Amino acid sequence: MKQQTFQAGRRDFLVKTAAVSGGLVLGVDLSGVVLAADGSTKPEVTHWVVIQPDDTVVIRIARSELGQGSFTGLAQLVAEELECDWSKVRSEYADVNEHIRRNRIFGSMSTGGSRSIRESQEYLRKAGASAREMLVAAAAQEWGVPAAECKAAKSVISHASGKSTTYGKMAAAASKREVPKEPKLKDPKDWKLIGTSPARFDIADKTTGKQIYAADVRLPNMVHASIVQCPVFGGKLKSYDDSAIKDAIGVKRVVAGDDWVAVVANNWWRANQALRELRVEWDVGESGNVTSESIMTFLRTGLDATDVPVARKDGDAQAALGTAAKLIEAEYHAPYLNHATMEPQTATAIVTDDKVEVWVGTQNGEATIAAASEAAGMPLENVIVHKMHAGGGFGRRGPHQEYTKQAVWIAQKMPGTPVCLQWSREEDMRQGRYRPVALVKLRAALDADGNWNAWHVRQADQSIFITVRPSDIKDGIDPVNVRCFQDNPYAVPNFTDEYAMRNPHVPPGFWRAVAHTHNPFFRECFIDELVHAAGKDPVEFRRPLLKGKKDLGVLEAVVKAAAWDKPAPKGVHRGIAVVDSYGSFSAAVVEIAVADGTVVEVKRVVVALDSGYVVHPDAVIAQMQSGVIWGLSSAMHEEITIKDGRVEQSNFSDYRVLRMSETPKIETILVPTGGFWGGVGEPPIGAVIPALGNAIFAATGKRVRSLPFKNHGFSYKA
Amino acid sequence: MPLRHSRIHDIHVASRRRALQALAAGACFFIARPATATPDELTAALRETFGERPITRGKVKLTMPRLAENGSVVPVTVSVDSPMTELQYVKSIHLFAEKNHLPRILEAQLGPYNGKAVVSSRVRVATSQQITAVAVLSDDTLWSAAVDIEVVTSDCGL
Repeated sequence: MKQQTFQAGRRDFLVKTAAVSGGLVLGVDLSGVVLAADGSTKPEVTHWVVIQPDDTVVIRIARSELGQGSFTGLAQLVAEELECDWSKVRSEYADVNEHIRRNRIFGSMSTGGSRSIRESQEYLRKAGASAREMLVAAAAQEWGVPAAECKAAKSVISHASGKSTTYGKMAAAASKREVPKEPKLKDPKDWKLIGTSPARFDIADKTTGKQIYAADVRLPNMVHASIVQCPVFGGKLKSYDDSAIKDAIGVKRVVAGDDWVAVVANNWWRANQALRELRVEWDVGESGNVTSESIMTFLRTGLDATDVPVARKDGDAQAALGTAAKLIEAEYHAPYLNHATMEPQTATAIVTDDKVEVWVGTQNGEATIAAASEAAGMPLENVIVHKMHAGGGFGRRGPHQEYTKQAVWIAQKMPGTPVCLQWSREEDMRQGRYRPVALVKLRAALDADGNWNAWHVRQADQSIFITVRPSDIKDGIDPVNVRCFQDNPYAVPNFTDEYAMRNPHVPPGFWRAVAHTHNPFFRECFIDELVHAAGKDPVEFRRPLLKGKKDLGVLEAVVKAAAWDKPAPKGVHRGIAVVDSYGSFSAAVVEIAVADGTVVEVKRVVVALDSGYVVHPDAVIAQMQSGVIWGLSSAMHEEITIKDGRVEQSNFSDYRVLRMSETPKIETILVPTGGFWGGVGEPPIGAVIPALGNAIFAATGKRVRSLPFKNHGFSYKA
Repeated sequence: MPLRHSRIHDIHVASRRRALQALAAGACFFIARPATATPDELTAALRETFGERPITRGKVKLTMPRLAENGSVVPVTVSVDSPMTELQYVKSIHLFAEKNHLPRILEAQLGPYNGKAVVSSRVRVATSQQITAVAVLSDDTLWSAAVDIEVVTSDCGL
């Protein structure tokens, strides 16, 4: 019953807001307050900052809130310099249409690569500082005193003479002033708000179920669509027979595209049931026989190929390997993974003769408006995008907006009627943009004293960039896929990284942490193999090789927190790993107990991060915890396999993710050393996976060289 | 069918060799500077393709999204205001992306048999830049149009 109450409330809310605004053009902020698009939020001091007469400060957010805390953290950056009363601050999405009208004034809207804070911190802090200077200058002018004699704090401007006024009163005058180009920014030591953890703007509504996601959008006369796409990637729709659903209750129509067919009905359940009754024939194209095994064979040609591009070469690894006192060789492999967002891909669209309106949970508002514009064949100015909060993103909802296009194509067939397209869970599992497969061959030489003298890396993997940013592939090298090796921080005198791109037909995507999911597993577990071959301690082995690098700082932090230099409690085994990614440095110690040689109980994960600065420590800790869970989940459970050219998995029953009962105690250590801005959303993931692999070796003597660990007989203790 | 792929009319990508042969055989006219300044790469690519023949703005309509969601599959339509009869027709349509690694991104050979002078395809656009379309008419005059395009990037790569 409770669920129904929520549903009714949501529908009621949207209908009301539609009535209030006299249409559907409106912004909805996180607290549910309606902001009409006609400018009632003015005056705008800068395009990022709107201050209302009652001192309410509205800070615009161009990046998407995916649960990582952007709505709060990005606002903190502005408010720190603005010197406003934080209790009167709220965030709203920068309107995508206004962004286009104003020549992309809000910069990048892309929310990926752990970039939201680090890429926008400078211009947002400057926006806050500029607005403050404008407010102060406006007050100084009114009082006839020099601006330098005025102070601003907590949204109040004051002068030694006793005069004082508020931001709300000065906002209109300030907005008429020119925006200072180079406002003075605070020294980080003077920050008062950055580095604190005020209550996040998104959590209350998410906790109470009030949050509206794309899947919650309800509009008058709305119809619902369920879709099936050619299960073999690259195949086409040949024909469909809808005779079985001609008289099905509630079914409105069938819409087909090049490689998909959708059923529209008066509710989603009926649409999806009817879709299952539809008899569809596909032309599966040339990939109908592809299997995980044939993909592996294809990758292996990359290991065997001669004359492949070299991503980095120091010294002469080949020669040094020939004179090794000890030669260690290994192959590591990682499978496809799906984002499996909690909310399947969903978009709602209304198309009329001269307008398209879409409601989408997106990681990039610009990509969404571009996709909708292209699908509708209408100029950007005729497209209205309502950015909804996404029920999980992880890289799925950024550059792959095909669900937005599909919603528009279906809505085109029903002009004026709102169409909500929601992929079924099964469709979402089988039509992902998957973390690509990778295979590496690693060879290393130790000298007589156990020193790491040479390292030869041959990578064979699938490129994502080739599908979305082909211009950034230089000399056949995918710059993302070689990370962890090309930028190897270990001081190995003879080092070669060779790269062989091998692209199967399965569509690849940016899965949270991208290449920093499997490459750290390959690198750090292989190093553990060297450690044991050299008869050394994993930390002792790494320390001299990381000397003078930030990687060492986080390594020492987990060593201390986990008391690595003391023996682990009886029955507990440890693994350690360190990796830098997205501008940050992270290290992890995983402590496990293993029952019956196969049942792994993760007792504790200690994880450290140096992101340079920390804006909202509580949000960062939450990201660290979710990163650990994300890593452990993929390490043990997750795997997408291919048979007959299609994905075999269908739902969470056969694509297991980590469960609450499997979630360990997680201790996070933040060691920001300042002077740089690193990312947070992805960096914790890389270190956790190899640290678990190394702990499993310590406990069982079994070296696992391919993911997930379940394929090697291991499971988590529930 | 949804607006996914429009029909492609007899597109042939001319070999580099043929263009070079044409150049070697070729005439030495001057190259008309387009209305906006063009980077050297574009000028070089135009010269490689058309020699020094004059190119005039007009007759060509180039339709591309102003903002592209994915630079690797950007829809493009080029139409030319010209009859397609034995007496007067469009011989070829060429597309150039000034900031692509290889700026010559499309060449379509046409004739009266096409019925109308329209070409649609999808092209790679490396980064935000200007795209130029050039049509060669049966009277050997060259006509062009150009549009600015911005490519959205949404990756989590680096």
